[in-house]
Amino acid sequence: MHLFFQLVRESVLFASQSLLANKLRTFLSLLGITIGIFAIITVFTVTDSLENSIRGSVESLGNNVVFIDKWPWEFGNSNYAWWKYMLRPTAGISDLEAITQNSKTAEAAAFRVDTKKRIQYYNSSVENVLVSGVSANYNLVSNFEIEQGRYFTELESANAKNVIVLGKTIQEGLFPSGENCLGKDVKLFGRKFTVIGVVKKQGESMLGNSMDNQAMIPLNFIRNIIDVRAETNEPYVAVKAKEGISNEQLKDELTGILRAERRLQPGTENNFALNETSVLSKGFDGLFDVIGTVGWIIGGFSILVGGFGIANIMFVSVKERTNLIGIQKSLGAKNYFILLQFLSEAVFLSLIGGLFGLLIIWFITLFAGDAFGMQITLTLSNVVLGLTISFLIGIISGFVPAYSAAQLDPVEAIRQ
Amino acid sequence: MNKRPVILSIICVIGFLWVVVTFPGVFSPSVKKLGVFMPAVYGLIVAATFISFIGVWHLKRWGMELYAISFFCKMLFFILTKTFEITSILGIIFSVWFIITYLFYYKKMDANL
Repeated sequence: MHLFFQLVRESVLFASQSLLANKLRTFLSLLGITIGIFAIITVFTVTDSLENSIRGSVESLGNNVVFIDKWPWEFGNSNYAWWKYMLRPTAGISDLEAITQNSKTAEAAAFRVDTKKRIQYYNSSVENVLVSGVSANYNLVSNFEIEQGRYFTELESANAKNVIVLGKTIQEGLFPSGENCLGKDVKLFGRKFTVIGVVKKQGESMLGNSMDNQAMIPLNFIRNIIDVRAETNEPYVAVKAKEGISNEQLKDELTGILRAERRLQPGTENNFALNETSVLSKGFDGLFDVIGTVGWIIGGFSILVGGFGIANIMFVSVKERTNLIGIQKSLGAKNYFILLQFLSEAVFLSLIGGLFGLLIIWFITLFAGDAFGMQITLTLSNVVLGLTISFLIGIISGFVPAYSAAQLDPVEAIRQ
Repeated sequence: MNKRPVILSIICVIGFLWVVVTFPGVFSPSVKKLGVFMPAVYGLIVAATFISFIGVWHLKRWGMELYAISFFCKMLFFILTKTFEITSILGIIFSVWFIITYLFYYKKMDANL
């Protein structure tokens, strides 16, 4: 075993000396692998980061939450019967009341309706803020944390108090000096709203559902100003299942409650949709599979070209050192020593190329995150994959030249 | 040195082409999903298969032996990762044909490296 490792060490030393002796050639041949690894791992890194970001956004909507809406969420269905859904009524406060009174499987239910308005605080203002009118339990069905202050109380919600909870970006826009905003009055819909809380920063969301750019006010307040059943205001009811209750059980119960509340005759179709976040995840799974496959094909060809480059340079290397191989063999070097020597040279070359490719990606990820507005991370699995591909390319492209070197006749080889 | 039988040349050419086609599968999204080190394991099997064809091309016994080992490992990989599909049966038929043909010429092959 000791002898084997000594042979490997010697082979690597031989290989590194040979690579250092031809710096330009080494550089050019590893460039192929660098580009190949760069192409394929970049695609995997970007798709993984996008996937994580979208999954994070979907999870922030809640995994065990069912959304009652007019339109069903569907992905890539060419038979989407949109004309059937056009005449459906939108979700209403009456739906929320029926669920709150009758559901035994729901832990909490909340109604939400959105509109876009300008919020002002003295000379500071933020345009086009997504103002959500939400019912009292919205904090129980949605995943957000309050950083400062608090959420509405039941009483404030029921009495339509003019209180507001701001998203982080809105708070920073209205109070740029960083002063305490709690208790301050901001102007919205031409009225004064007292700031009672600020939501913890969530960052960019791929689905555009980050709370950072939103403000929440009690539903009972906003219903006096806007039409909460208007489709343009995107009303929906979110219902969270109790611990141990599956979404299917919850949906069965909600179907019964909503059909009764909407007085639908037996045999008629539902005039509402019960949506789950899993539909979004599954829809994106298909999309990422396509992106991954395209990247895999493009990267695969680059890798193949890189592999041919290494094989070519190894054949040249064997040809150049034929007499040296002859001397080594005549001095007693075994076939496997010559084989290992050239094979390690190919693997070494390929691994360096792969490492360069990974380093370039790592440098890009340091700066690309800010440019794309999401975190791009070079994961351990992609590093392992990059090094694995480099290693295998080294083995596959280097074996034939190494084997032909090992098979050389010492006498013939010395003559050349 | 023995002359390589035509059938072995055909098998080796098919094998080389097969490796070129299947090598990108090592880093395919489906293999990547199986686990962090799964592309490495599958890649080593593909590389071993490629090397075995080089051995058979040079009429070396280790080529046939390495092919049999890599075939066994590949089957084990498919079974353990539950990725065995109907299309794999075609691969098994080809592999069994290769091994039987190798065994037929095994005595003519060289035992050295």
